[in-house]
Amino acid sequence: MTNHILLDLKACLKTFARNKSTIFWTLAFPCVLILIFGAIFSQSSIRNDLYVQNQDLVDGEASFWSDQIISILNETDAFNIRMVDVSINATDYALENRLDSLLIIPEGFNDSANMAFFTGGELSANLTFVYDQSSSSSAIVQSIVMGVVESMNFEFSNGRNYLVVEGVAIAPQRFSFIDFFMPGVIGMTAMTTSVFTSVAISSRFKETGVFHKLATTPLKRYEWILSRTIFNILVSYLGMAVMLIVGVVVFGMTITVDAVSLVMVAMASLLFSGIGMIIARFVKDPDGADAAANVITFPMMFLSGTFFELSQMPQFLQAIAAVLPLTYVSEGLRAAMIFGQADQAISNTILVSIMGIIAIIIGSWITKWEDD
Amino acid sequence: MVEKTSNDLAISVENLTKRYGDLTAVNGISFDVKRGEIFAFLGPNGAGKTTTVEMLVGLRKPTSGGANVLGFDITRDLKEIKRRIGVLPQSFNTYDRLTVKENIEYFAGLFDCSPDVDGLIKLVDLEDKKKEQFRNLSGGLKQRLGIAVALVNDPEVVFLDEPSSGLDPKARHGVWRLIENLHDEGKTVFLTTHYMEEADALAERVGIIHNGNIVALDEKDKLIAAHGKKNLLVLRKADPKAVSVIGKLGLKAKSDDGDVTINLNSGVAVSDVMQALSTARVSYSELQLKRSSLEDVFLNLTGEELGKEDAD
Repeated sequence: MTNHILLDLKACLKTFARNKSTIFWTLAFPCVLILIFGAIFSQSSIRNDLYVQNQDLVDGEASFWSDQIISILNETDAFNIRMVDVSINATDYALENRLDSLLIIPEGFNDSANMAFFTGGELSANLTFVYDQSSSSSAIVQSIVMGVVESMNFEFSNGRNYLVVEGVAIAPQRFSFIDFFMPGVIGMTAMTTSVFTSVAISSRFKETGVFHKLATTPLKRYEWILSRTIFNILVSYLGMAVMLIVGVVVFGMTITVDAVSLVMVAMASLLFSGIGMIIARFVKDPDGADAAANVITFPMMFLSGTFFELSQMPQFLQAIAAVLPLTYVSEGLRAAMIFGQADQAISNTILVSIMGIIAIIIGSWITKWEDD
Repeated sequence: MVEKTSNDLAISVENLTKRYGDLTAVNGISFDVKRGEIFAFLGPNGAGKTTTVEMLVGLRKPTSGGANVLGFDITRDLKEIKRRIGVLPQSFNTYDRLTVKENIEYFAGLFDCSPDVDGLIKLVDLEDKKKEQFRNLSGGLKQRLGIAVALVNDPEVVFLDEPSSGLDPKARHGVWRLIENLHDEGKTVFLTTHYMEEADALAERVGIIHNGNIVALDEKDKLIAAHGKKNLLVLRKADPKAVSVIGKLGLKAKSDDGDVTINLNSGVAVSDVMQALSTARVSYSELQLKRSSLEDVFLNLTGEELGKEDAD
């Protein structure tokens, strides 16, 4: 069995290495995408909201000074102010949701502000600005917040620091758009490589009679499918390696490649190989197979958070994204490679693995070499 | 299941039937193929040739009836059959970016055997193409590689499904030589074709299949004798008195547009005819013997023409 799998795998790899077009679309094209998008967006951020948690409430209503600050911040029209529930741990919330900027108005802020004015600045009232230091937009938001506080100090106390903003950085590394983008493209490449390879080979072998020829040999169908799946995994790893090299060399990316991300790429290849086999079973010729593969992969490419964060999309598109397998691949890879969120990375990997095993079993079961 | 397991038989088929809904592709056919012979299944497109081969090599399941290949049942013992047969499917295709040599090595690996790869390449006369990728080969060379691949496991029976279909005459004759070589090596060859000339040139016995039924099966000379037209002798630009000379021999002859056509149907030898014409000093510019062929047999049995260049 192992001999047959290795034999077929060797044939696949030779075929791949001799096909310039396939090499381009598998390896070079994703790198071109990274270079283009990276060059355009590497300095920009995708987040521009200011989250505010007002802990200084009186009978459920904002205290005078906290209300003043929020109103003035709102009047700047520089960002969208999104209120965070007071019962939530703000720093954890910012970390979990990868927020750019979060302003905490602590409990007792109103009393502290009154006291600061009363003591002529011997005491001060503190605000906490939680921010992702890797985000360029958080610096902009912080400077605006600081500006607002300074203007209030100037207006009410002739420039003394009655109100003080304390900064708390929550991300140890700087993440830019390219950091966000890279795991998405790795997932997307695993998808396109596996789907298109499976669909193209299966439909071509069916049409040209290669399956018939293989069926007259001792090669088992499952051996062939295993070989193809391993091949897709290897090509996905190869693509991942090339993209990471480009990301690190060209954009100086800091990215983590751990066991979870490697397992995720393998399971994504398994999943999309299975989906490719299922598509190939129901199309009549290679042209139709190509079109069907495009119909499946193209929407996923744009709706699964490869290029944009899901939270930026309209609700109905987010609902669609929630049922697309690539969403879980992209989010899982991002959690593992960029944000260091092990729990989400592992849970997504398990989910993708389950989907992958189901897809490959169905794909293997319905792929026929013989006729009825 | 077929119980006939004579050692002399390579293939034994009984009441083999394949239906697709209301369509009967193969209708209860029975025949035997002896070990070491070239057997041709001759018939037009859609006659059921390929379906029969595909059932014998395990690519389709029979609806009813059965067959043995080398004594193994085609529904139960496919694993054993696969190891002992070689198959050239219709329009052989393989990994198109592997070379000739790599493809042979690949299929040899699938059979877990180590054939003399260079010997096989030499056998099919592809020595100067052995480093050429499959996609760059012409149709004839692809078929030759297909035959080499079919031989990697040194099979006892070789199934060749339309081996020269779509090839030019030169390539076709090259494939025929290969098939003759297989016969010389003692292999049993089961050949399907819609080329009358191919069956005529290669086969010892011919089965004629039409609409899923075998309409005749015998040694080809016997088939022609039994079902063909009579042989004709044509005298081009002949003296019209030839008709009366031939008539005295008890043969029928007719003059048409300067040619005299003699029907050789009464057991009179051609030499007797020539002698009579010479004695009577009958002049003619050219003499042509028209033998009856498998084409005539097919026409006679089915009322249809076999067709010469159609793809199946």
